[in-house]
Amino acid sequence: MKLVDLAPTVPWLSLIWLVPLVTGTLVAFLPDTRRQLIRTLGTLAAAVSCVLALLVTLGYDPGGPRYQFIEQLPWLPGLGASYLLGVDGISLAMLMLNGVVLVAAALLSWNITEHESSYWALLLLLGAGAYAVFVSLDLLVLLVCYELTLLPKVLLIGGWGTTRREYAATKLALFMMAGSALLIAGAIALYFGSAMRTFDLRLLSAHALFPVEFQTRWFLPLFLGFGILAGIVPFHGWAPTGHVAAPTAASMMLAGVMMKLGAYGCLRVAIGVLPAGAAAWLAPLAVVMALGAVLGAALAMVQRDIKFMVAYSSIGHMALALLGFVSGSRNGMIGGVLQLFAHGVLTALLFGVVGRMLYDRTHTRQMAELGGLRQVLPFAALLFTLGGLSSMGIPGFAGFWAEFGVLLGTWERFPALAMVAAISVPLTGGYTLLAISRVFFGPLPDALAGLPRLTWQERVAGAWLAAILLAVGLAPGLLTDLVAGGVAPIADALARVAPVVPLR
Amino acid sequence: MMFQLSDVPRLLPELMLAVLALLVLGSDVLERWADDPTARRERGRAAAQLTSIGLGLIWLVALVQGGLAFTIAPASTAGPLDALLSLGRNLQAGGAARDALLGAFATDGITMMARLVLIGAALVVALLAGDHLPDAHPAEFFTLLLLATLGMCTMAAAQELIIAFVALECASIALYVMAGYSARQPVATEAGMKYVLFGVVSSAVLLYGMSLAYGVTASIGGADGGPPRVNTSFAAIAEAVRVADATQRGAIMLAVTLMIAGAAYKLALVPFHSWAPDVYQGASPTVAAFLAAASKTAGVFLLMRILTAAFPGVAGAAGSAGFTGWMALLALLAGLTLVLGNLAALPQDVTRRLLAYSSISQAGFVALALVPLGGAAPLRDSATVALLYYLVVALLASLAAFGALAALQSAGVADRLEDLAGLRQRNPLLATVLTIAIASLAGLPPLAGFTAKFAVFVGAWEAGAAWLVVVALAMTVVALAYYLRMLRPIWMQPAGERPAVSVAPVTAVTLALAALALIALGVLPGPLWHLAQAAVLAR
Repeated sequence: MKLVDLAPTVPWLSLIWLVPLVTGTLVAFLPDTRRQLIRTLGTLAAAVSCVLALLVTLGYDPGGPRYQFIEQLPWLPGLGASYLLGVDGISLAMLMLNGVVLVAAALLSWNITEHESSYWALLLLLGAGAYAVFVSLDLLVLLVCYELTLLPKVLLIGGWGTTRREYAATKLALFMMAGSALLIAGAIALYFGSAMRTFDLRLLSAHALFPVEFQTRWFLPLFLGFGILAGIVPFHGWAPTGHVAAPTAASMMLAGVMMKLGAYGCLRVAIGVLPAGAAAWLAPLAVVMALGAVLGAALAMVQRDIKFMVAYSSIGHMALALLGFVSGSRNGMIGGVLQLFAHGVLTALLFGVVGRMLYDRTHTRQMAELGGLRQVLPFAALLFTLGGLSSMGIPGFAGFWAEFGVLLGTWERFPALAMVAAISVPLTGGYTLLAISRVFFGPLPDALAGLPRLTWQERVAGAWLAAILLAVGLAPGLLTDLVAGGVAPIADALARVAPVVPLR
Repeated sequence: MMFQLSDVPRLLPELMLAVLALLVLGSDVLERWADDPTARRERGRAAAQLTSIGLGLIWLVALVQGGLAFTIAPASTAGPLDALLSLGRNLQAGGAARDALLGAFATDGITMMARLVLIGAALVVALLAGDHLPDAHPAEFFTLLLLATLGMCTMAAAQELIIAFVALECASIALYVMAGYSARQPVATEAGMKYVLFGVVSSAVLLYGMSLAYGVTASIGGADGGPPRVNTSFAAIAEAVRVADATQRGAIMLAVTLMIAGAAYKLALVPFHSWAPDVYQGASPTVAAFLAAASKTAGVFLLMRILTAAFPGVAGAAGSAGFTGWMALLALLAGLTLVLGNLAALPQDVTRRLLAYSSISQAGFVALALVPLGGAAPLRDSATVALLYYLVVALLASLAAFGALAALQSAGVADRLEDLAGLRQRNPLLATVLTIAIASLAGLPPLAGFTAKFAVFVGAWEAGAAWLVVVALAMTVVALAYYLRMLRPIWMQPAGERPAVSVAPVTAVTLALAALALIALGVLPGPLWHLAQAAVLAR
């Protein structure tokens, strides 16, 4: 149901990503001494873009055509690429996610006191690039925006990060560049394979455009190219080090949005354009994802550093989302997209609590050295618990509907794998509860008494993320209808070449 | 084919370059009334300013005359700008023409584009050199710069072996002297010496190939079955190649191979690259910028002219359709250069050596872009557009990167990677310019380097050399590793005790404009693409 009428003459989608981009460029030219102005401008830009994303979501007509708010301008006609924007239900969920996380990341960046102008410029550029990926319907433009996020990520980690930051930044960059190399090869192959000489994803994903052999050959490079950024096992090596080394806001964007860029590409480009290729690879990929979900949770279980724990839990959760995609069923895909949204918000919340509220005060992330923080930072304890509950998939939180959908969808096609993947649920419960009890309960070490209270930015950002988690958990219909509409054409195309055999 | 007086305007930019070179030299002779350091510096600045202003003027003339970016409509109403418009109209009328001058000097779209690119590069180098004057004989330095530019523009226009060789030597001899210009520094002398030795050998190899090609026209009959047309023009060679039989093709391939080898020295393609790191390190950074940007580009133009005008008959194939002809040869060189150039760059610790290896790997991309020029007409045209686009972008990135290093050297920063530590704090502008240039060289969007590489890959893929594209893509990952080694100290390491870096205003503005151009061309690739398309279609 369309709730808001937006004037069709306004380029809404361009505005969403131009607001942070232009503000970021402006901020880059401000001197670092204008700290307050820089922070205010940056946070405002994030908020405005989030509101614009919300407006577009409310203005989307679920009963209308698949892609809406289409904008098209010539960009590189010589290569058949155009600046082509449009959104469907999947893009809208991702746009909202990026908006929500960007606002929180901006609020949690108010403590940055080194090179503020370049920090904020890079953060806003990162957000703008992610928005642009989610609204691009031209494969080349999508790739440009996708890789546009590389340099800001690397510089944010390397320039403002902590533990082994140069190593982490380099590793992330090389993993992502390897993915990009696969994607560029795949994009050129699609360009020539379709004989239409176009990068328009609407045309490329038209039914049965590519011969099956071509699809089977090129599906894997495209899926892996995006999948590396989604942190699929065994190409997840960049993720723990990157997340841990990054400054808090960058960890939030990295785990909350960037990994979703990769998963979004897997769904939109790899599965969406090459359904027959996907059909050939569903089973092996589903095995990898199910094992990845268990492995991520198991690795999170054995971490002593709480930020590493959250980082490994991200790998497990992303594997679950992708398991939903490669289950090839509609329920699985809906669950997968919901998982992207839910995990994006909850991991941002967890990284926000761990990186900003705890580490910046205690200067340690070793769970053995922490304890009893409930007494000094009660609100942080509440937030971490809410995020943790959502991560465990407790009903009432967004994470529940996501995991439920994924496991349901997987059951339809790969019941055994659904059972394997389900092992990750108790494991997640285990490490989350362990972390909560170790960090927030028990005796408070003397060294940690008298920590400074939470600032208003921290409270607002945490409450904001927790509220979103609860809202989507209590009223999943806000998101599921939208996502279901977006997923349907992709799932149907896949079902045509690989129908789900009903269980007896 | 007679030379007429009305043909003179077609050579206007080259003639202006020659006049400007003499003017710079002559005006300096008249100023030699004092030899103290102040007077010397004044003379240097006067020469730099005269050169820069002159080059700016010549660039404008080339822009108007080329008519690639815009054409001036016939006179309609008399306005205040009428005199200026009519001057421009006359320039355009005397500009592009289909037939080459005397069959030897083409003034087609490619020449027009080459003039813009090469004169533009010389302008940037002159502007940078104004803040980085050589210790002695500054006027001669700028004269050499102009003469080298003259030679390069002529290289790009050559339609005949003798012009091609004379132009090449005109550019090379000037560059030999420039490479070793700071005679008091042993490194510079060594660089100059190395460059001369390698250059002379490459010229000899090229000349040998040329003489073979000339010999081919003397021993193969004309297309109409008539007697051989002994001629040095590319068209005559192409005709002889077309009618040659299998045994004669052996000699032809030998000629092509030698000519490619000779040009490969100029382009620093592996295995003919070993001079480049030493020369780029030893020569002054502005000269290194000129070598890496303009000299290489001119070499590519020459190679493109020779291969497409004289040897389309032995283009062959470099993919699934076979592995023969010069396409295969270039593909092989491109593959070797990409792999070895990038791997060799990894362990470098000296910024200019690192950039030298990066420049070698860029040459690998250029060779990759040359491969599809042997294809059929539509592919050849689109690939030429991509090549021109790539050349402009690579030139801008090299100028920005080496220019930033020149600015650093002027400020007394040593040339190891760790000396860049904390540059974001010591000089944010230089840090940003270097980052943008490096990101463009690495092919990261939204910078122009990404679009350029992508376009080149599309061309090579269409020509059947998908394997080469895959190699190049794999190497972009390796390349990012060493580009990051350069970004790391700039962004991720603290400045410590290292002092702030100051940059002269002209250099700062020039570098900032080059970096902005890299962003603009990446975000909006359309205009440059159309310009290159116009250049290709105008021929």
